[in-house]
Amino acid sequence: MRDTWISFVKFFVSLRVTVVLLALSIILIFAATLDQVNLGIWAVQEKYFRTFFVLWNVKGFPVPVFPGGYFIGGLLLINLVASHLYRFKLTWKKAGITLTHAGLIVLLVGELLTGLWQEEYQLRLDQGQTRNYSESYRFNELAVIDATDPEFDQVVAIPEERLQDRAEIQHEKLPFRIVTRAYYPNAAVQMRDQLGNTSAPPPATRDIGAKLAIIPLPLTYKQNERNLPAAVVELLGPSNVSLGTWVVSTMLVQPQTFDYAGRTWRLSMRFERAYKPYSLTLLKFSHDRYVGTEIPKNFASKVRLHSADGSTDREVLIYMNNPLRYDGLTFYQAGFDNNDTTTVLQVVRNPSWILPYIACFMMGVGLLAQFGIHLFAFAAKRRAA
Amino acid sequence: MPFRHLLLIPALVLLVATSGCRDAKIATYRVPKETPPPAAANAPSADPHAGLGIPPVNAAAPAPAPAPASMPTPTDMASTAVPTANNGDLIWSAPAHWQSRPASAMRKATFIIPGEAAGQQAELAVTAFPGDVGGNLANVNRWRQQLQLAPIDADDLNSVLTHIHVGDLHIDLAELLGPAPADEGKPRLRVLGAIVPHNGATWFFKLTGPDALVAREKNAFIAFIQSIQPAR
Repeated sequence: MRDTWISFVKFFVSLRVTVVLLALSIILIFAATLDQVNLGIWAVQEKYFRTFFVLWNVKGFPVPVFPGGYFIGGLLLINLVASHLYRFKLTWKKAGITLTHAGLIVLLVGELLTGLWQEEYQLRLDQGQTRNYSESYRFNELAVIDATDPEFDQVVAIPEERLQDRAEIQHEKLPFRIVTRAYYPNAAVQMRDQLGNTSAPPPATRDIGAKLAIIPLPLTYKQNERNLPAAVVELLGPSNVSLGTWVVSTMLVQPQTFDYAGRTWRLSMRFERAYKPYSLTLLKFSHDRYVGTEIPKNFASKVRLHSADGSTDREVLIYMNNPLRYDGLTFYQAGFDNNDTTTVLQVVRNPSWILPYIACFMMGVGLLAQFGIHLFAFAAKRRAA
Repeated sequence: MPFRHLLLIPALVLLVATSGCRDAKIATYRVPKETPPPAAANAPSADPHAGLGIPPVNAAAPAPAPAPASMPTPTDMASTAVPTANNGDLIWSAPAHWQSRPASAMRKATFIIPGEAAGQQAELAVTAFPGDVGGNLANVNRWRQQLQLAPIDADDLNSVLTHIHVGDLHIDLAELLGPAPADEGKPRLRVLGAIVPHNGATWFFKLTGPDALVAREKNAFIAFIQSIQPAR
């Protein structure tokens, strides 16, 4: 047993493993870079790096074909930590090397935590518009809203993945169950009469779904495009009584309203929202250009930040490299639209943003110390000789 | 050194335990009532962002200003995948000084027409969508909205559109001049548009750019439109 343990540990502290892992990571990065043309940056990160294994779809079954970023990075981390514990000795002479490696460990852990914790949303504001939520770049949700109260909406937000799973959705706040009858990860909806083919039955029985056709589209992986999912959902009351079927799609702008159990409900498939206890109002968006050219000089959004409890109410100017940091979030100026009357802010939460800076600082100091120690030792030796 | 051995185990467990898929939990919350989006009806459009302040994706935006790499252009944000008409293409011949750009998922074709001043350019976007995309009035009003012009009603539509026949194609032409911009340095925009129904789809040819440049290119645009014909 002890022999097994020793060989197990020896494997993990081996320099050979380090070299093999580094070689594998080079191949992984190379393959991912090539595939980025097809998949775009998001999908490549998910497929190659934020996974234990790169999977290939063989006849509908995912088959692991190569170790993924988490696998290689995780083993490198273990290898590095284990080597420190077993092989390296804490001496002043090697303090620089130790610090450099410790910086590398912080860098690896930082990337892992960024992958796990970072959230990226966007906030679009027209001039004069106020919003208290940001929207996901990639994820969508089915919002089932109890709109009975004249002041407030009670929202049950169901992630798209739950519709994709097709499992029956039951929730304590809903007097009905939701069953996905069809799900399209990317689809367009069109009025059936516009398509000229009205012979096929409508996909749903209620509201606009009875007049629509769903046109499935191939998934897009391009960085500047997003998939617009659509689904047909059936609502089931007690004793499996069907309330009807609805088409929900991110292409449908307005929520679909119906009454049930004495309450007014709204159904809406939308970009996933992150509500905040404060709101932003766009006062003015400026897009300055150099005179006589179309070359941009400055992008800036003057916004009013107003918290629900009234503790904050101030104007903020957000411009390139000068984001608003508030409530653990960073609001960057990311884009503009509608003839410069709409601003697009990128809203990022990354609790581990500081780690790469610390890691680089540690590695820099470590390398400086190590080379300094060698230099001084060399100089001292020469003086002595 | 047994404690050293033990340190490896939590490291491995931590790595595995903290890595996982996105947590697809149902969330519930109460929010102050929101004013519904200003769309008149829930007619599906090629514009999933209507009411969200994003311009229609099926309409070419005015020639975008060159933006720094970190500043995604609005067309990037809005170019979501929508169905384009694929049943029978149109072909045309463009003047030599129009620079062709690669077609994309959204565009059947794009031409850039350079102006005389540095950085000045007009853009011709060719798009096609199934159906009539809301009809001529909606399409003209969408172009007007992009130029920040007030919408017109059906009675005024005939005075805005010029109808021409090119072979078997019935084409409606529109010319729109935007308001003088308040900011000095911003050009006044002019749009020349052509709406071409063909094979159950509607093709849009939209030339957008600074007033003087687009006016200069008007004859070339008309000649271009008259060169359109169904692909054999």
